[in-house]
Amino acid sequence: MEEKPFKASLGSHGSDKSSPDNDIRNLWTRATLSQPKLNVPRSSVGENSDMEGGGIGRKSRRWYNQKAGRDSDGGWEEWDDGEDKGSFKQEDLNESSLLELELRRASSLGSRLGEDVDSVTDTEMSSSESSLSISKHTPHRAYWMEQQNRLPLPLMELMENEALEILTKALRSYRSGIGRDHFLTKQLQRYIEGLKRRQSKRLHLLVH
Amino acid sequence: MSATMKLKQGSFLWYLYLDKLYCLLSVRNVKALLEYFHLLDVHHNNTLNDVLFYHFLHHVTSWNRTQIMIVFNMLDWNAMGEIGFDQFYMLVCILLAQQNHLEEQFIFRHSRPVFELLDLDGELRIGAENFHMYNFLFNIKKQDLRELYHDFDITGDRRLNYKEFKLFTIFTMDKYQERQKAEKDKDKGKKDLLKKKRLHHVNVSLKQFLGINVSESRL
Repeated sequence: MEEKPFKASLGSHGSDKSSPDNDIRNLWTRATLSQPKLNVPRSSVGENSDMEGGGIGRKSRRWYNQKAGRDSDGGWEEWDDGEDKGSFKQEDLNESSLLELELRRASSLGSRLGEDVDSVTDTEMSSSESSLSISKHTPHRAYWMEQQNRLPLPLMELMENEALEILTKALRSYRSGIGRDHFLTKQLQRYIEGLKRRQSKRLHLLVH
Repeated sequence: MSATMKLKQGSFLWYLYLDKLYCLLSVRNVKALLEYFHLLDVHHNNTLNDVLFYHFLHHVTSWNRTQIMIVFNMLDWNAMGEIGFDQFYMLVCILLAQQNHLEEQFIFRHSRPVFELLDLDGELRIGAENFHMYNFLFNIKKQDLRELYHDFDITGDRRLNYKEFKLFTIFTMDKYQERQKAEKDKDKGKKDLLKKKRLHHVNVSLKQFLGINVSESRL
């Protein structure tokens, strides 16, 4: 992988605390077709999303780096390790993979997209380059605004896993209490299946 | 009924925390909690029925069935048979206050809603039996309960109205702060003692070392 630094023709966009040049969002939101081949080091993708006012990576870390003010219970501190920072980087990278998938879906440039898809290699740099070419035509701003309002994925996963356990036990109570054929039992069963499908879909996306 | 409740380690609630001063959740935590509530709201009523509520509490706390149903009946103040998000939020704050040993502070800060919760009959008075029934929620010991009714029942009707209850919360808050201060002083005393011991040990070692050196030079 080339380590050529990204020379962005980026205007100043407010936040000065971290280097805007290495921020993944700048690749999506400000890059133009005239940009040289992008070769942002993979390590910088997750690390440098700590911009003021947004960034899923930063939000995730902020959730998990907060000190609860309690001494022994751990709480958020449990997530405040170097090991977990690695997992957050992975999460950031996965977020960008998801973003790429969504951008592709949203694009109306069929043949061009096909060319881009053909030329995509295993590295993220190739996929980011092809996504750049269609970024002009996609509603990236709305997407990022939505991303900033979402809860971090690890938290969502934790909540869904727990909800699934609770609801599975509740389903047994429903079946024994009101029977298998009651509409509430069926509704709960359908809901649990929907939740499991969502989880496996996300897992599939993460793996690939 | 065991008085000390523990949240299940690694559960979602276990990761939440109350602001220590106001005993409330932050906006961010409330947002996550709302999302969690909606995950459990399988029938899309913005409520949890008794079955879902029971399994939720059974999963995340160490309470038994009787305790859980007492809590459900207490929170179902509209007698709808379902719990909305407001009540759910209140419950989570109570759980976190207990988990983090902030019961006194919580009752002090939210004396009115707590009073209304305990006032089951709506008579604006709380009898001793009400308090006793909910002591597992706020970790109030029997001895404290006796003192409460002895010292604060100013009207003498063996029940507490809101003002008497408020006085009680102020009193327990003072006691809590004194306890904290005493613990802090105790810790400080221990640290000072440890320091003195170390210093003494160093002095002794130094003297021994110098003593050896002096005897060698004389030779």
